[in-house]
Amino acid sequence: MTDDFLEPWRPHAAEWDRAAAQHLFRRAGFGARPEELELALSEGLEATLARLFADRAAPELRASIQPLLPAGELELLQAWWMALILEGGAPLHERMTLVWHDHFATSNAKVDDVRLMHEQNELFRTRGLGDFRALLKSVARDPAMLRWLDGDSNRRGHANENFARELMELFAHGLGNYGERDVQEAARAFSGWGISGRTSVFRPEHHDAGEKTLFGRTGRFGCDEALDLVLEQPACARHVACVLLEAFVAPPEGAWIEELARVIREADWSIERALRILLASRLFFSPVARRARIAGPVELLAVAARSLGARIAPRRAAHLASEMGQALFRPPSVKGWDGGRAWIHSGSWIARHNALVELVSDGATEADLERFFDSAEPEELPASAIERLLPEGAGQTFTDALGSAVRNAHVVSGARTAVVALVLTSPEFQLF
Amino acid sequence: MSLSRRRFLLEGLRVTALVPGTALLGRGRGSVSAGERVLVVVQLTGGNDGLNTVVPHSQDAYYRLRPTLALSRSNLHALGGDHGLHPSLKELTPLHDEGRLTVVQGVGYPHPDRSHFRSLEIWHCADPEGVHRGTGWLGRMADQIVAAAPGAMPALHVGDEDLPLALMGRKVSAPSLNDERSLHLSELPGLEGERTNLLGEPAGTTGELAFLRAAARNAYDVSQRMERALERQRSATYPDLDLARKLRLIAKLVAGGFDTRIFLVTLGGFDTHARQAALHAALLEELARSLHAFQRDLAASGAGERVLTLVFSEFGRRAAENASRGTDHGAAAPVFLLGGPGNGGLLGSGPDLDRLSDGDVGFTTDFRALYTTIERDWMGLEPSSSVQAFDLGG
Repeated sequence: MTDDFLEPWRPHAAEWDRAAAQHLFRRAGFGARPEELELALSEGLEATLARLFADRAAPELRASIQPLLPAGELELLQAWWMALILEGGAPLHERMTLVWHDHFATSNAKVDDVRLMHEQNELFRTRGLGDFRALLKSVARDPAMLRWLDGDSNRRGHANENFARELMELFAHGLGNYGERDVQEAARAFSGWGISGRTSVFRPEHHDAGEKTLFGRTGRFGCDEALDLVLEQPACARHVACVLLEAFVAPPEGAWIEELARVIREADWSIERALRILLASRLFFSPVARRARIAGPVELLAVAARSLGARIAPRRAAHLASEMGQALFRPPSVKGWDGGRAWIHSGSWIARHNALVELVSDGATEADLERFFDSAEPEELPASAIERLLPEGAGQTFTDALGSAVRNAHVVSGARTAVVALVLTSPEFQLF
Repeated sequence: MSLSRRRFLLEGLRVTALVPGTALLGRGRGSVSAGERVLVVVQLTGGNDGLNTVVPHSQDAYYRLRPTLALSRSNLHALGGDHGLHPSLKELTPLHDEGRLTVVQGVGYPHPDRSHFRSLEIWHCADPEGVHRGTGWLGRMADQIVAAAPGAMPALHVGDEDLPLALMGRKVSAPSLNDERSLHLSELPGLEGERTNLLGEPAGTTGELAFLRAAARNAYDVSQRMERALERQRSATYPDLDLARKLRLIAKLVAGGFDTRIFLVTLGGFDTHARQAALHAALLEELARSLHAFQRDLAASGAGERVLTLVFSEFGRRAAENASRGTDHGAAAPVFLLGGPGNGGLLGSGPDLDRLSDGDVGFTTDFRALYTTIERDWMGLEPSSSVQAFDLGG
């Protein structure tokens, strides 16, 4: 890769193919329904990207959680978010919301308040593509976060360093880019913020207004001043660059990080502007990025359902994602989900297999699959399934196995189901 | 015995066990290589009253400190020496008689913390220097296992509560499982053959795809073994108790050849501040009956020699009872080991109730010494602390 990897990719007509369009939809959103894919292929890359950034979630769907919040049931909130992911009409915004949920990983296991989890989720949805500095400052005062990382018990003379430490280690800098002293001093600057009812409040009497020395600078810093200093450190833009590269491209390499960090600073910390460059770049569409990531449970289910044009009940989908190891609003720790190979073990593979088989046998109707295959002849089913679900192709042994499944089926509907089930539960399909 | 000599003997035993029949000569421990050994951790959440679990019945101070809660010597199950097991632990006595129950007394750590949360964290992390922040001792072992066998499921939490910190690793966080049905593979009829062929696709033999194929083959293999193990008629009967249900699931997984080597289950309710006697008796009975059924089941399925069970609690309770016929948070307490290395019996130093430290039984064995023994000598992995191993004898 030469150093122009963030330059826009300008594909010839033939290069903007199913594989390229699927790649964009799977990374920037949650896959494409067959008709969305056809539209993208006919409109071209630029128009497809413009559409992704312009889409906003259906307001009725977004508001539909309100009457359900008083029940205080996490399953309802999980189902609501799954519905937005599956059908909300703003895939890039939902993708970014999931990226921030994983990054600022907050669990209802401790927060224990569905309204606060919902509020934080909306924060990621409304601010997730905006100015990262504003996002970080909102997260620092977010009531769920104040409870999750003990900000509400961080008081003058009784500092609680939990948030300050995770801020530097996980949210903004990464290990090795700050000192123990910086953690302690930042914790003092954050003191005084707490929760009253479900609202965050600043209580001056609990704030340590004394002088602090943070990253070599001294002053009577409060929350925002301390965060400004955190943001000023070169490690911060690099850390955000890593988050975006891991989520959208591939395990990051040093040169990519430096270049994207520069772009982020030049974009005045606008995540949208940085992403417009990244998602249109040669790097994003290069072979090194294609099918380089092991799909997480939520994206796996959503992409499978949407690619088939099948419907799955959001509540069931959220449950299946939990079984596969990704319970929304319940990340295993403040590190978020480990991702990558950590998604996969014998138990989670069985859960993936079962969920995808359930999607094919219960979620997709015969009519869905007939439409999906566009009335292909039985002998055309293997090639057709590979083209639609594994656009980067599959090996001969793989294709032969699908052909054998078709021949063994007694009826064509059974052949369709068998081929799709085999493809979805294959190792190849787990790579997005 | 020096480590190298002990290792040599274990390796030697393993070699001789390859000769048919010789495994029957000894206890057969050596026939199991370290890579096949399993650790089951049972956590008694809330702080189990060690003094009424392993009772120092010859000390007058015991009866003086516990005017209403002291257990009468005649009802205890003799452990030898000056100690007896709580009457409700009756079902552990056959295991003790067979040399399969080891009781290590006085297990704790310096500067005991009486907060449930903090003390559990100390036991889970075993990391006083803070070098392994955010990870637990079981998770760190799981990391080592996965590094050698990518795609395996090294550790499992059985239960529906939040994942205990002990199981958090740097690379892997153990999944939680509460229902064996979620390990049952639902396959569309007639696709097994094609799936096997498809997984044999030769293209893409490196990187993530190769990793996924290996993990998938392993998972299908494991699920088949599970199905066969579940079909077998089991003679073992378990009492209708929550802990027993969880342990039965673990026994099935172990007997079925599931690739998990580390399990954690919890039994809660040990925070007995008031009217302790009946409460504590019921909890210990659940513990003993469940463990008994578990050990019998493992033995019947031939897995008895490769499973070590560790029973611990975040702290013991204060030596003196309180005014509510209960006990408050204390410090050191006994730990149980079932199966595994050693010949059983009562190890470590018992409490001296005339010389309490701040009203508590002081620790005589650092729990991390037991961890080192388990990590290194039982599991064959790198210990996560430099605390010297505890000698279990045998």
